[in-house]
Amino acid sequence: MYPSFSPERRRFLLPAAAALALVLTGCSGASVEPAENFGTFDEVLAAAAGQTVDLWMFGGDAKGNAYVDDVLAPAAQDQGVTLRRVPIADTPDALNRVLSELQAGRSDGSVDLIWANGSTFSTGKQAQAWQCGWTDLLPNMRYTDQDDPLLLNDFGTPVDGCEAPWHKAQFTFFYNSDAITDPPTSLEGILEWARANPGRFTYPGPPDFTGSVFLREVMLSTAGGADQVPLPYSDEAFSEYAPAALQTLEELEPSLWREGATYPRDEQALNTLFADGEVDIAMTYGPATLTDLVGSGALPPSTKVLTLEEGTVGNASFLALPVNAADAAGAMVVANIALSPEQQAAKADPGTWGQFTVLDTDLLTPTQQNLFAQLPESPIVPDYEELSRNAHGELGSEWVPALNEAWRQDVASAP
Amino acid sequence: MAARRRFGPMTGRRASTTGRAALLALLAVVPIVAVVGVSLTAAGLQSVGLMPFIGPPQLSADAWTSETGELIRSSVTSVYIAAVSTVLSLVVGFMLAAYVLAMHRMGRIVETLSAATIPIPHVIGAGAIGLLLSDSGFLERLLGMPDAFPALVSGPWFVAVIAEYAWKESAFVALVVLGSISRSVGDLCDAAATLGASAGQRIVRVVLPLAVPSLAVSAAIVFVYTLGSYEAAWLLGPTSPEPLPVRAVRLFTSVDLAARPQAMVTALVSVAVSVVVIITAVLVLRRHRSLR
Repeated sequence: MYPSFSPERRRFLLPAAAALALVLTGCSGASVEPAENFGTFDEVLAAAAGQTVDLWMFGGDAKGNAYVDDVLAPAAQDQGVTLRRVPIADTPDALNRVLSELQAGRSDGSVDLIWANGSTFSTGKQAQAWQCGWTDLLPNMRYTDQDDPLLLNDFGTPVDGCEAPWHKAQFTFFYNSDAITDPPTSLEGILEWARANPGRFTYPGPPDFTGSVFLREVMLSTAGGADQVPLPYSDEAFSEYAPAALQTLEELEPSLWREGATYPRDEQALNTLFADGEVDIAMTYGPATLTDLVGSGALPPSTKVLTLEEGTVGNASFLALPVNAADAAGAMVVANIALSPEQQAAKADPGTWGQFTVLDTDLLTPTQQNLFAQLPESPIVPDYEELSRNAHGELGSEWVPALNEAWRQDVASAP
Repeated sequence: MAARRRFGPMTGRRASTTGRAALLALLAVVPIVAVVGVSLTAAGLQSVGLMPFIGPPQLSADAWTSETGELIRSSVTSVYIAAVSTVLSLVVGFMLAAYVLAMHRMGRIVETLSAATIPIPHVIGAGAIGLLLSDSGFLERLLGMPDAFPALVSGPWFVAVIAEYAWKESAFVALVVLGSISRSVGDLCDAAATLGASAGQRIVRVVLPLAVPSLAVSAAIVFVYTLGSYEAAWLLGPTSPEPLPVRAVRLFTSVDLAARPQAMVTALVSVAVSVVVIITAVLVLRRHRSLR
């Protein structure tokens, strides 16, 4: 039925394939040096003229896509740089591409800029995949607070000028005000509410980004507050604080949606459950999207933001520049434009994207401050001041995989 | 196969034709073997720590030995999904084929519908099955049973995942069976009918034996395909246990670079299970042919 090879030929094929395999994989491990170093931003601008920058970013946020295409890209075009948005499903995909190209020894990488933060950043730093020390060149960095902890550390990993700040985010719970008239005011209260209302609460299963944040928040809560747990990861700290959180979640399981037999895949899946009225509380690290989700009817009009007394975790996200980017100068120009007060104010408009600015508005001129003062308020999401009250920074990024894995072993795989 | 039976044992002239055919096929086979060889070698090297992203290469079997229990659980889950999906696809696919052969006009419509199912990407199919079968999905709204609706999507038995594979692959099975027997089956069925065989007898005694080789080939393809596919199991399966491909992708995209070797181990285990199935299928097929 099929053509079959004689044993002789088969004997020849296998070593040939193995030899070819060795040749092709033999070039791995080649190190790639950053293409060029710039002394001043004028040199960057000169080198950037005519470059095309590929910005790899999560493509599932329509407003973010529209902001980059319609606001940021034209501004870059004015300075002679073409900005191309490359949508990806998950940020690690972009880093994987960079790492694979580095492994293949490519110095003209196809990724020029990544919307990154947290674990992706620290993994890339671990693998020496980022260009560092370039953000000092950016003129618009002067509008940021030099001592802002959210901009100095990215999930506990020192930023070291390896990525330029882009915007801030605040972890936020929201609830259905038709179903809950007396909402809880602390994370412990939320868990208590979940126990009292079986089947009406769940969280995305880690390693999903949102579920993983929730897991860390539970640990901070069971530890007695965010200041109790040391930010850098250590095995001792893990064995001191993680078991209580895992036990709490394990005990919570019977009260969860589907009795914790399974968990929603990601934030979108949780939102679907929330919109279908299967659960009454949901959570997001991107509260900016809520205004739009309620406006478009994807979430019910009774959706309300739940602020916690002890505050929630906040972080900043960044634009990171791979060490082998083909258009590094152009990428720096784009990062600088993205930091300008005009771009930051436009992006902070809930009608555009609604992302909180990384700039310190006290450092701006009155005209620039006015841009922010004139922003319309969202009917759903309170302003950043209120959302970030009592906020705390992220734990060191090594906590993330450690807790995720422990959760999978102890909570998800439990019989 | 039919040709060989008709012409009797292979003659010298035929053998040289086979040689030339093999030479032609070499053009297609060499790139495939090269690509598969490179990927398997790379995966093997990464799984034992000889191709790390960071640090010097260091030979280590840790990735193979550290999570054996979970690897076995994942393998069992994957084999379960693949086996049930394959059996369902074969049964449904054969019934579809028999229907198409029996009913001339309606059969044509069913055949066209089946063919139209095949080019739909699995991820779209999975999305559609999700909308149909989820707790607050179309079926639940249609039946109006908000409290008693079973957990088909993300449930413990992978019902939605298996439904997706069975739906898409049964169409594939039906087309393979029809393609291989439609020419010969008509006369034989007519002869059987003349001799007084009922419709049921004709299906069991004539159509089924003719279809067995193509069913066996498609069973192997469907099994290996479902064992290695990711989208439906990821979208519609529960958080735990994890089938092999879902585990491999999760580990491969983990922010922890140390998880790469484990991802490669998972992928290689998946390949190993597939190879075992293919070899078994080839042996069974040979056996079957020699029986006739």
